[in-house]
Amino acid sequence: MHIAEGVLTVPVLIGGASITVTGTAIGLKKIEYKDMPKIAVLSSAFFVASLIHIPVGPTSAHLILNGLAGIILGWAAFPALLLALFLQAILFQFGGLTTLGVNTATMATSAVFCFLIFKKLVEVQSRFWNFVGGFLTGFLSVLLASFFVAISLALSGEVFMPVAKMIIIVHIPVMIIEGILTGFVILFLKKVKPELL
Amino acid sequence: MRFINFILLLSIPPICLAHKINIFATVEGNKIYTQSYASDGGKIKGGEIEVYDKSGNKLLSGKTDSLGEFSFVIPKKDDLRIVVIGGMGHRAETIVSADELPEVKKEIAVKVEKNERYKEAPKTETAVIDTTLLERIVERVVDEKIRPVLRLIAEQKQEKIGITEVVGGIGYIIGIVGIIAFFMKRKNNV
Repeated sequence: MHIAEGVLTVPVLIGGASITVTGTAIGLKKIEYKDMPKIAVLSSAFFVASLIHIPVGPTSAHLILNGLAGIILGWAAFPALLLALFLQAILFQFGGLTTLGVNTATMATSAVFCFLIFKKLVEVQSRFWNFVGGFLTGFLSVLLASFFVAISLALSGEVFMPVAKMIIIVHIPVMIIEGILTGFVILFLKKVKPELL
Repeated sequence: MRFINFILLLSIPPICLAHKINIFATVEGNKIYTQSYASDGGKIKGGEIEVYDKSGNKLLSGKTDSLGEFSFVIPKKDDLRIVVIGGMGHRAETIVSADELPEVKKEIAVKVEKNERYKEAPKTETAVIDTTLLERIVERVVDEKIRPVLRLIAEQKQEKIGITEVVGGIGYIIGIVGIIAFFMKRKNNV
């Protein structure tokens, strides 16, 4: 779900960039010194995740892991994903430098949104609800990101419904996989290092 | 419901969801051959191809076939910008410069005259050769012969992501975060 350069119109690029700048500023304000290793690890995980392909019918989708980054980092997901996407653009030519703002906005906004809603579920002392919170975070963050990508494409002239349908259908397996993965990661961390969450 | 979705998925023009698509173009005779592929090696089937000249006028457009290929007759001798649009925010372009292109020949309508006299006189030594027709035949044969070679070149040019970039990227992330952490610590100490 990296939007390439030359697809979006300038207002959409500026809009995406401004969301990213705002989110990153909030994120950087909230970061504490002890959070830094967490940010490095999750930024790296997100950076590598998009190299893992899942074949879906005639095409393939890749893991995203923005929900996992969101639920653990909160607002700091903005700078973490911005850094990872910047390196993906430079090293792999995924997306591009002009679309960096929009790509970060689609991924990180959905991540932070899920964080704000499901944080409580992850904090309660119930393994069942912790897993449910993790699952919903992983699932919904990908769904929302697909939706935001579709909106950016629609604002730049593509017809919304078919594009949105297509992106969301292709990402259904990714949503399920990331939901389960995020759920288990949350359970594991609660057991081993609860102070991380 | 999932079955219906799956059918829906198969009915849409197949696109690739890799994060990057590439287009490779080369001149063959009076045509330009293009191949579009994704960063994971998948071919872009049914991608929109648009060809523009130097001043940005759209000269022609078309769709790639099941091998991600699309060929077209050179419309004019100019710097041609060939764009492929793979849907879902994927796009790539390449430029074929004017000095790579041959002079565009005026198409001459080939008329093979049905002359009964040749049949009646098989002993005539002189064969009438229509040069335009011959040129076309040669071009077509060369096109067919050269196609696999072009395909090979296109595949050779595919950039694969190596372990170097991946490890390097992770290193960059840790390094940059480390630098930020260092300055945060200093600020807190002062």
